[in-house]
Parts: sequence; C-alpha cells; structure tokens
Amino acid sequence: MKLYILNYSSFRNDLNTIDVKTELKTKYKIDTRRQDNFIHLGLFGALRLKDKINISIDDELYITSGIGNIDVFQKATHCANNKEFMKISDFINILGNSTSYYISKALGIKGKSLFQISDNFTYINTLISIYSSLYSSKKEAIFGSIDLVSQPNEILKRVLGLDEISEIVSSVNFQKLSLSSQDAIAEIEFDTQSYNSEEIKEILKVNDRIVYTSMRCLDLEFKKETNFFQTELSYTINKVIESREDMLYIDCFEDCYKVLRLKTLV
Amino acid sequence: MKNVGISKYIIKSSQGNLQQTLKSVKNQQTKISTKTIESLMEDVILPYFLFDNEVEDNQDSIYEELRELVSELVLELDAVQRKSTAIIIGTSIIDWYTINAIQDTLYNKKAYSSKKHSIDSFAKKLSQEFGLNDFTMTINTACTSSANAMLEAANLINASIFKNVIIIGAEVFSSIMNKGFNSMQLLSSSSQKPFDKNCDGMILGEGFAGVLLSNENCLWSLEGGVNCSNSENITAASESGLEFVQVMNLALENTKIDAKDITALKAHATSTSSNDSAEINAITQVFKKGIDFTCVKPYIGHTLGACGVLELVLFMACIDDGFIPKTPSFHNPMSSELKPLNENKQCSSGTFMCNYFGFGGNNASLIIKKEAV
Repeated sequence: MKLYILNYSSFRNDLNTIDVKTELKTKYKIDTRRQDNFIHLGLFGALRLKDKINISIDDELYITSGIGNIDVFQKATHCANNKEFMKISDFINILGNSTSYYISKALGIKGKSLFQISDNFTYINTLISIYSSLYSSKKEAIFGSIDLVSQPNEILKRVLGLDEISEIVSSVNFQKLSLSSQDAIAEIEFDTQSYNSEEIKEILKVNDRIVYTSMRCLDLEFKKETNFFQTELSYTINKVIESREDMLYIDCFEDCYKVLRLKTLV
Repeated sequence: MKNVGISKYIIKSSQGNLQQTLKSVKNQQTKISTKTIESLMEDVILPYFLFDNEVEDNQDSIYEELRELVSELVLELDAVQRKSTAIIIGTSIIDWYTINAIQDTLYNKKAYSSKKHSIDSFAKKLSQEFGLNDFTMTINTACTSSANAMLEAANLINASIFKNVIIIGAEVFSSIMNKGFNSMQLLSSSSQKPFDKNCDGMILGEGFAGVLLSNENCLWSLEGGVNCSNSENITAASESGLEFVQVMNLALENTKIDAKDITALKAHATSTSSNDSAEINAITQVFKKGIDFTCVKPYIGHTLGACGVLELVLFMACIDDGFIPKTPSFHNPMSSELKPLNENKQCSSGTFMCNYFGFGGNNASLIIKKEAV
C-alpha cells in the first residue's frame, strides 16, 4: 500500500516553548472554552497544517493517539473518588470524537471524522484504515496523531509499558494524505505484514535507506528517539521529510516488527 | 462503495441472546431494571436495560463477554481464513486500564508496574487468542462508534486488505455515562417514547453485538453508507434535520440507491425531543413519498457505542423472522404526516437504511440489503 504526503505539521513540547493555549487564542482566534489540553494540542497541530495547505470540506479526518485524553480521565477519576460532579463539558470530552469534532470545525471539514486507537502499531494501522477508505472514496485525508503527557507522568508510563525512568513528551503531528502523487512531497509504503527478528535482518541486508526504529525496538541498534510518545512514527516521518532523506522505519510490538518505507519526493 | 457480505451475526442484550431478544420483541415483553443515579439535588432511581447477570464494568468481565461473542463468530473459519480476519471494536466504554493506572498512581500508591494497554487491548487480546490478523482497531465516536466500525471494515474488505472483518459493538453500565446523561436531562424516568410529542428522554442499555463481514456473497449485505462530522453543535443537530438529511442522502448516493427503493428505515430515535424532531424532519425531506420506519431502542435501550451493530443485528433478525418491528410506546405523533410503524409489518427481504446520530457532531447512515429467497 502506498500513500502520498502532501504536507505536514509537527509540534513537541520538549523541542518548543510555545504556549499552545495562548497561541490558539491569539494567533488562531479559537474559543478554547469547554476544551482541555488534549483538544488544544490536537487543534494546534491541525491549524498549523492548515497554515501550509488547503483543507477541503470533504477531506476525511482521522485522529489517533496512544492513550487518548488522559486529562479528562484524571478529572473523571477525581470526581468519582471524591463524590464530586463532573462538568458537562468534561463528560462530553470523555468521548474521543469530541477532539475530532473541534478539529473538524477548526479545519472546516464536514465529511468523515474518526477517532481511533490501536493497541499495537497505532500509526501504521490507522494508515491502513486511511488507505482502504481513500481507495473507495477517492478523497484526501487529514491524519492527526496526538499524545499528551499529564502529571504525574507515571500514569501514562504504566499503560504505555515503559520503564519508570523513561522520558515521555507531549506531541502532535499531522499529515495530509492522498492516493495520488500529484503535488506530493513524500511517498510512504507499508502493509499488514508482520516480521520476526530474523526476517527483519534479511530486510536490513538489502536496505539502502537510513534506518530509524521505534524506542520499542530494543534489539535494533539504529537511530531512535530518546524521548517516547506512542505516535512517534508520525513525528519521525515529518522530520525525515524536513531533512529530505529516504527512510526505512521499523516498529516493534511484542516481538513482532512492521516496516514503513518513506521516499522524499522534493 | 462496493457491497460486502454479512455472513454471521450475534448479540447479547439486556433481553438475553439473539433468540431471547427476538422473542421479547415479538411478544412486546421487555425487561427493564433500575439503577440509582447520584444527582446534584438528590439521588434518583432511573430505568436501565441491564443484563440479568451484571457484567462488572472492568476489563476482565468485559473481555469474557467479548470472547464468547468472537468464539461464535469465528467458529467456521479455519486457521488460514482467520489470518485474513481483522477485528474492529466500536464502543464508548471507559478505558479501565487507564483509570486503574490513575487509581494505582494517585490513590492506591501501588508499586510501579507497567504493561502496554489501551482501550484497544480487548481487540488485541481477542486477535491473539483466536489467531486473527494482528490488525486491530477501536473506534470511539460516541453513538456512531460501531456503525463507523462497520464502514471501516467494509473499506478494508473492498481494498482487498482482508477477506473478513469482525466488528464488535460493546457497552456496559457506566456510572460516569449515566451521571453525565442525567445531568444533561436526557434520561427518561418512565419509558422511551420515540417520535412522540410527550417523549422525555432515553433509557440507557447494556449490550454486546458482533458481525462477521466477508468478501463472499451472502444473503445479507452491507451495501454501503457514510459517516459525517457535520453537526453545528457538539450535542445536537439543527432542528430542521439538515445534517441528517445530508448524511442520509450521501448514503443513498454512496450506494447508488434511490430513496424510493428503500424498503424501510431503522431510525436512531433517542426519544429526546430535539433529536427526534430533527430526525423526523430529515426523514420527511429524504423520503418525500413516505417510508415505513421504526426504531428498536424501546426494546433494548440506547446502547451508545454498541448501538451501531446491536440495533442493526436486531433489525436483521426481525427481518429474518419475517417482520419489521413496530415502535412501541408511541401515542401522540410529533408529525401528523409521518408516523413510525405502530404494528409489526410483514417483511422478509428488501433494502434498509439504518441511522445513527451521535455526540461530537458525528452522524452515520448505513444501507443493508437482504435478497429475497
């Protein structure tokens, strides 16, 4: 399966000092009430993409995340433990698609909009879903990956399967995707195939691209991020396009590997 | 969209298994339990469609129910077929793995331990246990969750990525959901009265349902449908029903089916005045010559993220039994021109539209078809 990237946006809180909520209010004139940090992060990434490329009313919106809106889960747990009532806006924001609602409104999208999570290979599985949807609809897609760190960050590390000493960061990355190569800046190739470690070694033998791996690939000694977020592949894709490289990316989950190939076109 | 076969379906509702639920619909005898809901002023006791044996709202109990469903759906699939079978869950149940991590960290002060989990962990575990493809996905778009899962599954089959996809809708009692809906004054204290002038809200329900979609020709097929995030408001569509008109018309366009060729419609019908009046306005505009329509929430409750699959399957089971179920508890029509069926109507095949409208401005309309035998 191949998809083409028409443009992208990236933000990581460890590499930028931007105050997301202030930026949403001042630069983008967004009414940030009734929203929370997770929604703000998603909106910020989406609007930065909109700064760079035209978004169509019919574009299909896919939002994914490692865990989802951790802030609102913490509020819900606090209210339950202290027998307090949640604000109605917090209750509504528990639903994953509240985030995609605000993003689709900000982007002016009135078509398909999904919020989905995969336990394994979150990013690649959503790409497969997007590919199959565009295959039928012949439209273009906006793909947002949002990971928010709340405090204490130990909560997230417990459900992400990480060491206690791991560094985790908040990040939002978007791409606009198409089945067509017209005006594309990169091509990504992926499939449903999983590989074992021996098969990965064979793939690496014939590979001539720069190799990046997920932090979950502990046995592979290649370039990888030192700070973790579940949808890190989305950020790495954007970073590699920025540096005009080609890439073989290897993701790993419970001894299974998946690969994604990226070719920069400009 | 190219159609895909619906080769198998199964449910567990508050009324029991598929046969028991069908029987309760035919006999118009539905069991409704009650739950005490904490409220700002004073606790209230509200009706709730609950399982006979309470499924505790935790990950182990939910997994056992899902496991039972999937074991039935994959029964005839051999190992090779299972490897080309993906699984997608549509639900709005709370991610208990994350809630437990919050409790363990902040309140129980448990020693640090970590394992990768998410709301999709149910799907991943099912895929591993039954030898399915490792592609799993959990969609959370409120009341359209499992309807959207059906559409995503059809796309995966149409693009020849998988031969089969299992779609699960799941919902269990949740005090968070219950309190939230109650504080928005959307819950009825008596009964659901869809499209009735006196409707005063929904009754929530528990339910699990599963469908096996395949690339093979079957008696039933999913002809297609659409999902749109087109409502102006996060909790409601406009009174004119414009957003619902758009999604229903797009579903017809997507399937290249004319409105006059739709045999009957399963409405979303939450028994809230704003949703029901918008939906009846929309039905009037799309089906200008009228249409037989009904809803099934009075039999099983509003099962939120599960309703996409659960209501579809119950509707299909009724058609397989030879009838379109009537809409109970309906006395004073909202519209003098268009009323839901007030008697069961004989029908054993045809083309049917199924509507699902949810919070987050997310609306979906599916079209299914059963060939005449």
